[in-house]
Amino acid sequence: MTDLIKEQKLLENVTNPFKIKGRVIRNRRVEVFCDKETVSSVLLYAKTQLGYIHLAHMTCIDWIDENKFELIYTIWSPVEKVHLFVKTKIDRENPVMENIDKIWDQANTYEREMREMFGIEFPGLIGEHDFALEDWDEMPPMRKDFDTHQYAEQTYYNRPGREDAKDVRETLVERSGTEVPDFAKKYSRER
Amino acid sequence: MSFIDLKGLLQPLGALKQIGKKPHTIRFPYEKKDASDNYRGLHYNEINDCIGCGNCSTICPNAAIDMIDLLEVEGNAGDSGLRPRIDNGRCCWCALCVDVCPTGSLNLTKDYIYVTDDPNSFLWMPGVDNKEEGKDLISYTSDTTTSLSMYDRVPMRELEGKERVKSFAEVVLGYTEDEARAEAERCISCGLCTEACPEHMHIPEYINAIARGEDEDAVKIIYDNNPLPEMCGKVCTRRCEDVCALQVRGDAVAIRWLKRYATETAPTVEAIKEVVNPVIEEPNGLTVGIIGAGPAGLTAGYYLALKGYDVTIYEAQAHAGGMVMYGIPKYRFPLDSIDKQIEYMESIGVKINYNTRVGKDISFDDIYKNFDAVFIGIGLQKPWNIGIKNEDVPGVIPAIEYLKIINSGGSYDVGKKVAVIGGGNVAIDGARVSARFGAEVTILYRRRVKDMPADWEEIEGAEDEGVHIIPQAIPTRIIKNEKGRVKGIEYVMAKMLTQEGGGRPRPVAIEGSETIYECDTVIGAIGQQADFTWLPEKYKESVLIERGKIQVNNDRQTGDPKIFAGGDAVKFGNADAISAIADGFSAMKGIDKLLLKKK
Repeated sequence: MTDLIKEQKLLENVTNPFKIKGRVIRNRRVEVFCDKETVSSVLLYAKTQLGYIHLAHMTCIDWIDENKFELIYTIWSPVEKVHLFVKTKIDRENPVMENIDKIWDQANTYEREMREMFGIEFPGLIGEHDFALEDWDEMPPMRKDFDTHQYAEQTYYNRPGREDAKDVRETLVERSGTEVPDFAKKYSRER
Repeated sequence: MSFIDLKGLLQPLGALKQIGKKPHTIRFPYEKKDASDNYRGLHYNEINDCIGCGNCSTICPNAAIDMIDLLEVEGNAGDSGLRPRIDNGRCCWCALCVDVCPTGSLNLTKDYIYVTDDPNSFLWMPGVDNKEEGKDLISYTSDTTTSLSMYDRVPMRELEGKERVKSFAEVVLGYTEDEARAEAERCISCGLCTEACPEHMHIPEYINAIARGEDEDAVKIIYDNNPLPEMCGKVCTRRCEDVCALQVRGDAVAIRWLKRYATETAPTVEAIKEVVNPVIEEPNGLTVGIIGAGPAGLTAGYYLALKGYDVTIYEAQAHAGGMVMYGIPKYRFPLDSIDKQIEYMESIGVKINYNTRVGKDISFDDIYKNFDAVFIGIGLQKPWNIGIKNEDVPGVIPAIEYLKIINSGGSYDVGKKVAVIGGGNVAIDGARVSARFGAEVTILYRRRVKDMPADWEEIEGAEDEGVHIIPQAIPTRIIKNEKGRVKGIEYVMAKMLTQEGGGRPRPVAIEGSETIYECDTVIGAIGQQADFTWLPEKYKESVLIERGKIQVNNDRQTGDPKIFAGGDAVKFGNADAISAIADGFSAMKGIDKLLLKKK
């Protein structure tokens, strides 16, 4: 294990000007946490002042219990060879996030994907209605409360030959010659 | 600037460091490149490792996995006999099925090319239809760290070993609400446990209720087919946990402790009544007499009383509960626990006549004549002899007699050193009770520790309390002192011989290895038998007794249609409380079936 000097330095260089928190994850991995208003400033500062010129990835996590979306911007410096993760959490009810395609053009692709999959709006997004899903008017499918199972059942027909499927619990109940009382059935595993 | 550009000359030589390395370019002749090491391609299922829990089928977001009855796999306790079949037309290779597979039998392979004209052939069983080619191509797997199943049990809080031996205080402290919720959430609700449970309790349902915070529903579900859950929550032999899907790679869900937790949420008779809210049918005028207030008799009595029968139980002892009351030490199952359960039963109309020994205080003939049906649940009361010399001297006592004396509030002086013979739960109970009276205790067992039929937690508990175990020791004789009392026990060491035909290894004495262990008391715990001396001869023609056990059919009915039997004394008996409860429950159905015509 190296002593992570450049990572520590990067952490200080990013967190001090903006008064934000962060940590060194391991060698060549640093993360910082900021509120959504600060994100573009941090990214622009890192790009122009610290040499983190490459937007490697943007992604989103649905923290449904917290009622938040977490957005993660992964940027990279070819000189330092360190990945910097800029993380922020935004409101899940009204998810609007600043569009950063003026900083990196390629952010457009990620933003369109996130708009479609999580329903996050990026004001000023170019070509926002045109991405992978066609004619999609349901809940964005990567949200945790989207019932993929139900969607699949409704959308696709079952291939012939699947009628012999059995339920594990029912098979066991039958074999043991018992009966699960009706009031208990709501606690049985769903098929 | 010199005439010779040294840098320009030397730099290309840097390429020399690549010598011997495999080039990244396409090779000639053409070599097929392998998929990555964790590639998510077509499924492969190790059919023999799969237990058919159906977790893959439940998680599949595309409903692509069906559980199919595979004829070549026979279902048994711990295996549903079903195996997953994938609709590859629907699969999106998210690999969630692999991530939740508790056994790790389901994997994805590097194989991703599947071309066919027939769309129906997309439906196939991994591990059966790609038996040959799949195994070597496994790439995406799960281990206990990457799996989404939670393999570590929430530890149970217990009294410290040194603290325990000071009193008969309950050793296990029980789960707190948070601990119980966390433990219950580990359950994957497959229900494999229900088949191993002799009583087929609705385990996934009540655990799920606990996980969702609905403790009252959990209690209600438990009482649906077990009227003694507090007892089972504390001392059950928990066959269920042996087949838990999670125990294949981790710790089984603590089913017994969760049941205990649920019963603790209804701490009084009134609370049980309120939560269970039992429907007691109108009296139907039919009567059932029950001999023995052990788990079997109590279970039959409870459910018959709910069905409107007039139930009377005859119990020879002053307390109900049978072996659970008199055989199990109070640090495992406190007196107020059993009292509460009995009081609840009496409150719904079960009548218990204590201190009434059939054959002495009341004749079997009277019971047979006075009741519309009779249930025999007498248990195994007579200990087997150890079968060695001087067994009859003072200071030698069978474990169940010893435990009965202590559990009835009596006392028995075991002296300073005690030897216990046997490896079952009764032996451990005898040892741990003796340890509580300050004795130095050694268990002599003829096989290895891992062969001991006792519960592993009991064995560990005994060791924590300072009980010493000598495995592979066969007792040969008891040595008496000049006063005719026990002075010690002689034993020989044994080696384990593997049996031809795969039976369990047999201990064979090693000649010349005789050792003497000096002790004041020898406690024998090598099993019990039933006592049928109270049963008049004329009934023995119809109530068949073979190898010391009453023969019954699936309804627990004997050769005499009116007489039913259950518990340790019948052929189904596994000699544990839950089997006795199962017998009582089946007998209840049998009696109901028989007497239905009379209604």
